[in-house]
Amino acid sequence: MAAQGGVHFQDKVSRLLSRENGKPVLKPNRTLALRDAVANRKLKKGGPESRCMIENNPSFLNPDSCNEATCITEMSVLMACWKQNNFVDGLCSNEINSFYICVEKAQTAMKNKSEQTSIQGGRLPPKQATTLLKRYPNLSTEI
Amino acid sequence: VFLVRWSRYNPYYLEPEVRKDAYGRPESELSAEEKEQQELKAIRPIKAATSGVSSSVFNDPVLSKFINMMMKHGDKVLAREILTQTLEHIKRKQVEKYHKTPEGMKDTIECNPYAIFHQALENCKPVVGLASIQKGGKYYQVPIPLSDNRRRFLAMKWLITECRENKHRRTHMYEKLSQELLAAFVKEGNVVKKKHELHKMAESNRAYAHFRWW
Repeated sequence: MAAQGGVHFQDKVSRLLSRENGKPVLKPNRTLALRDAVANRKLKKGGPESRCMIENNPSFLNPDSCNEATCITEMSVLMACWKQNNFVDGLCSNEINSFYICVEKAQTAMKNKSEQTSIQGGRLPPKQATTLLKRYPNLSTEI
Repeated sequence: VFLVRWSRYNPYYLEPEVRKDAYGRPESELSAEEKEQQELKAIRPIKAATSGVSSSVFNDPVLSKFINMMMKHGDKVLAREILTQTLEHIKRKQVEKYHKTPEGMKDTIECNPYAIFHQALENCKPVVGLASIQKGGKYYQVPIPLSDNRRRFLAMKWLITECRENKHRRTHMYEKLSQELLAAFVKEGNVVKKKHELHKMAESNRAYAHFRWW
């Protein structure tokens, strides 16, 4: 299995490195060997790198999905109550409780959603992939 | 006191359950997850308990956390001493007030210092906090919901810094703390003022609430 794939793979690598058809595609300053680890990607909406507001395309790839802020209505209700009652907390206890309930629900929903996407993603999360590769590493010596 | 707890444990080890009432519950009350936990405890090794927790009725995790936050240079004995003196001072003041009030009003005076501490801490906890979020090159202060632990931590931190810095130099820490706690119990004092200011900032920045993504 690996032997058949290996031959084709070696051919492709030699084609990429050859200088016969103009400049070579690869310029290897490090050895071309597969690592026993996977890169640690987590590019879901997480700050200034991901451009969520600019390209708001609904696509199914994880890095492009935009999450919106949760519990904004509850927060705005709470703040209106505060404004009315001059920030006295005793009079706004109902709004405060509903805000806390909303926050709890949002947190559990996020956890369930992340669990689901990590199980159904079709791919392993990077940490689990790395542990798996470390248990069955590439053979570096013949003995 | 012999230190038995190691500083690094294999993640295989489970946390110890110190409270007595957790073991008195009958089988029927436990849910499926808790039954699994019980079965795990029979198999897996358990970490040693820290010397800060005990199984007595007087052990309070909130108070232990407060003592740890007040502690300086690892001197837990001094921090615990300060806290016990604080509670005693609160009790003295409240009993004094109790004896001075007329007969009808005696029920309204709270004498239990633990109840006063917990209520004062509740009154100091903020509801929303501000986070510095970068958007389009600028940093905005965005109101966010805080977790329970974070709110408790902020309340305790404000209490301690307020007592350490803004009081007269020659008063003892326990006096300063008891004054602050009694003021927070009736929702006065600098700590609840700080909490209200945080709420006001959050309220004025409520337009930026959509900058959150969680």
